[in-house]
Amino acid sequence: MKHEMLCRPSATAVRFALDAGEGLTCEVGAMIAMSSALTVETTSRSRGGGGGMIKGLKRMFSGENFFLNHFTAHQPNQTLLIGPTMMGDCVHHPLRGGTLVVQGSSWLAATDEIEIDTTWQGFSSALFSGESMFWVKCSGVGELFLSSFGAIYPIRVDGEYTVDTGHIVAFEDTLRFQIGKASRSLIGSLLGGEGLVCKFQGQGLLYCQSHNPPSLGQLLGPKLKPA
Amino acid sequence: MIDSNPTFRGGLFHADLPDGRSGASIKLTRTELVAEALCEGQPQFAIPLNECQLDLGGASGKMVFCRNADRSLTIFSEDPSFVAAVAQSAYGTLEAQFRSLRARRRGEANRFRVGVVAATLAFALVCVGVYFGVLAAARTAVRALPIRIDEQIGEMAIQSLVPEPRLDADHPATLLAHEIVQQLQPHAAIPEMNFRVLVVASDEVNAFALPGGQMVVYTGLLKKAESPEQIAGVIAHEMSHATLRHGLQGVSQSLGIVAAVQFLVGDLGGLVSIGSQLAQKSILTSYSRTAETEADLEGARMLHEAGIDPVAMAEFFALLEAEVGDIPDVAAWISTHPQHAQRVEDIRRLLQGLPKKQYRSLDLDLKATQQALQ
Repeated sequence: MKHEMLCRPSATAVRFALDAGEGLTCEVGAMIAMSSALTVETTSRSRGGGGGMIKGLKRMFSGENFFLNHFTAHQPNQTLLIGPTMMGDCVHHPLRGGTLVVQGSSWLAATDEIEIDTTWQGFSSALFSGESMFWVKCSGVGELFLSSFGAIYPIRVDGEYTVDTGHIVAFEDTLRFQIGKASRSLIGSLLGGEGLVCKFQGQGLLYCQSHNPPSLGQLLGPKLKPA
Repeated sequence: MIDSNPTFRGGLFHADLPDGRSGASIKLTRTELVAEALCEGQPQFAIPLNECQLDLGGASGKMVFCRNADRSLTIFSEDPSFVAAVAQSAYGTLEAQFRSLRARRRGEANRFRVGVVAATLAFALVCVGVYFGVLAAARTAVRALPIRIDEQIGEMAIQSLVPEPRLDADHPATLLAHEIVQQLQPHAAIPEMNFRVLVVASDEVNAFALPGGQMVVYTGLLKKAESPEQIAGVIAHEMSHATLRHGLQGVSQSLGIVAAVQFLVGDLGGLVSIGSQLAQKSILTSYSRTAETEADLEGARMLHEAGIDPVAMAEFFALLEAEVGDIPDVAAWISTHPQHAQRVEDIRRLLQGLPKKQYRSLDLDLKATQQALQ
């Protein structure tokens, strides 16, 4: 399977070239266009994996969809085009036996070998960081595709690194994250507009996004006319 | 020899690996930790146990990291049996490192919990502070506003809040209520207020005041009263709500609290608009316990000034309370008002502070009015 990122970085779509028998699991609604010899199967479980209803429900809590779409090519040289919901970039993350913890709405697609599960990140992360309590956990060996709001950039953390809430796309499970104050005093943190931030500790890869969906929502929400 | 030892799933970090990281199959010998990378060529890396630096972390907080002296190589795993095997290896020398790591993690977790509890308490305190601050600010601000605003709100509310049928202006009941208002008006805190009274034909024992001096008395209340002084007591109480501007205070406090909630929590959109619509009637016509007590005391002062015995007001409360059990409609007025015994005591205490006065009886024919209402 080959892939190509189109129209980077502000309105990225991913084009896949699949050979007969190859497959891809995508977020519901991600497909833009596809060749005729591709079939789509919608289920609540990962391809070949267990789970079903429970995993589907857990995905819903993480901000993902209950269902997953599996695309399978039945002839060589089939094209599949997918894109994210929000305006922004996509990134390819080759998973080689590790685990990547992905913020719910950033998971876009994965090859069939990757196990997709949900992981609990605690009440405090949901209450204070504006992130969800459950995150999507991807593990195994395969190809993973993530999307972002705005640009996406990887950071190799070794030690400590601080990211503002709402800007996390994904992080390797070797990183630990905690909610903390942006500056030394809580009042200063709040007055500085940064409020609470996510502090990463350890060694591993972290993906961040340049924009933050809740901030856009807070900006637009009050200006919208009630229905 | 290595193969006879158990294998654990994990990973490793090293600069020679593609992307600096790989999944790994980990084995523990008597002297070394050996990791075989799950990438092309399957290179092997080892850390001598005597220079192994341990750390706990990862997304779960339970992942064990083993580093060599210069931190160029890290082998990690989350497998629970790996943690136990490492702790017991090297003749227990790593067990001490584990214990201090776990103690540090527990300390951090406790500090975090204390922080969360403190932040929640501080937020609750700020909310309570803002609530009482807004109430106090609204009271002060309302006093500075012209009476015309009260009158406009009252006029707008008459159509929607005063039920039909209403008695004519020349009906004996309306004339009686109007006469009482005339006698009390010179003694009101704001004598120039445009006091008016409407009588509603309903057996409910009820009376209320709208902002700006419009009062509404139900015929049920007029029929229930035993003397004109008791009616004067109720009307004085309602006039006091108008002169103390409780209606406008309720509106401004509600608006202020909505604004404060929006400031603290963000836009609540639909919830607020539904809430404010539901609250409109109750804001204008029912008041807090504090406001009721204020109206009692101000009403009693007015009655005293007008030469009418304020105890008549207390008597009427007693009369209503005695009958609440029999007639459900009576509950309407008394249910929103403070405890009867407390009210009577408050009124008596106020009278002790005022100069002694000879009270007169009102020259009004209540019996004839009550017959006209039958």
